[in-house]
Amino acid sequence: MYVDIGSDRFYKTSSSIFHTFRVTANNLFYFLHPEVRSFLFPASKSSIMGKFMKSGKVVLILGGRFAGRKAVIVKNYDDGTNERPYGHALVAGIDRYPRKVTRSMGKKKLKQRSKVKSFVKVYNFNHLMPTRYSVDINFEKNVVNKDVFRDPALKKKATREVKAKFEDRYKTGKSKWFFQKLRF
Amino acid sequence: MEVVIQMILNLQSFVHTCSKKMVAQKKAKKTADNINARLALVMKTGEYVLGYKQTLKTLRAGLAKLVIIANNTPPLRKSEIEYYAMLAKTGVHHYDGNNIELGTACGKYYRCCTLSITNPGNSDIIRSMPSEQQPSS
Repeated sequence: MYVDIGSDRFYKTSSSIFHTFRVTANNLFYFLHPEVRSFLFPASKSSIMGKFMKSGKVVLILGGRFAGRKAVIVKNYDDGTNERPYGHALVAGIDRYPRKVTRSMGKKKLKQRSKVKSFVKVYNFNHLMPTRYSVDINFEKNVVNKDVFRDPALKKKATREVKAKFEDRYKTGKSKWFFQKLRF
Repeated sequence: MEVVIQMILNLQSFVHTCSKKMVAQKKAKKTADNINARLALVMKTGEYVLGYKQTLKTLRAGLAKLVIIANNTPPLRKSEIEYYAMLAKTGVHHYDGNNIELGTACGKYYRCCTLSITNPGNSDIIRSMPSEQQPSS
């Protein structure tokens, strides 16, 4: 496919069907690479369509054992791998939400009710519903990663690390929405 | 060289008008014919995907420039696509017609509830359509 820029120069863009895309002043904007666009027209950065399935984003699990649970994307693989030739993400989620606490409860009871049971799993993007919320927690990359699923001991370690990080975040009182059970 | 500078100046003014707030215009009958003509041009010269699953794929990948939804899509699916488009900062156009009519407008012999335009080609659908719809809450 050749792009006719209106002069004698032809730029080969993509090898799809043999089409002549006439690049005029009106639509040159869309033919530029997004990096080039944001460089030439800094004001247009906001109009560049964004990928939003990134680490830190809160997603809802749509099916399976953890259906209806909230999770955070740890690492996303937009183009897939050889084992999983589709867009997928490693997520860390909440299996059992912390229970409601009131002012009248003692310290021991408070500790019991603020526990979080967590899970790590790899999901196809189709089975996740993204939300507008995000939780920025840095999990240890060598503890929480994709290789964890081959060995149950490693998986337990990863889940424990996620549990610790989630409980810390819950106790600070931030990301309240994330730790509330989704009612449906 | 002068041609390049002229093109860049045109583009800067184009981007400037894009960033200005567009006043919601009165929905005239011409709008319906407008979008059909523009859609036809996109079908001929641009790149698009038809269907719910593929539009979600393009939205996730950040490739969608405009999403068009027919008026008889189930409301849950409609809100889901609008939410995805909000996350991806993509415009959504509610087509004035049902999925049969949208399929016909695309020149296909099947129904289409949702379609996503990834490359408008020679059409100016991206610039003109989002400015005519009401800003969604």
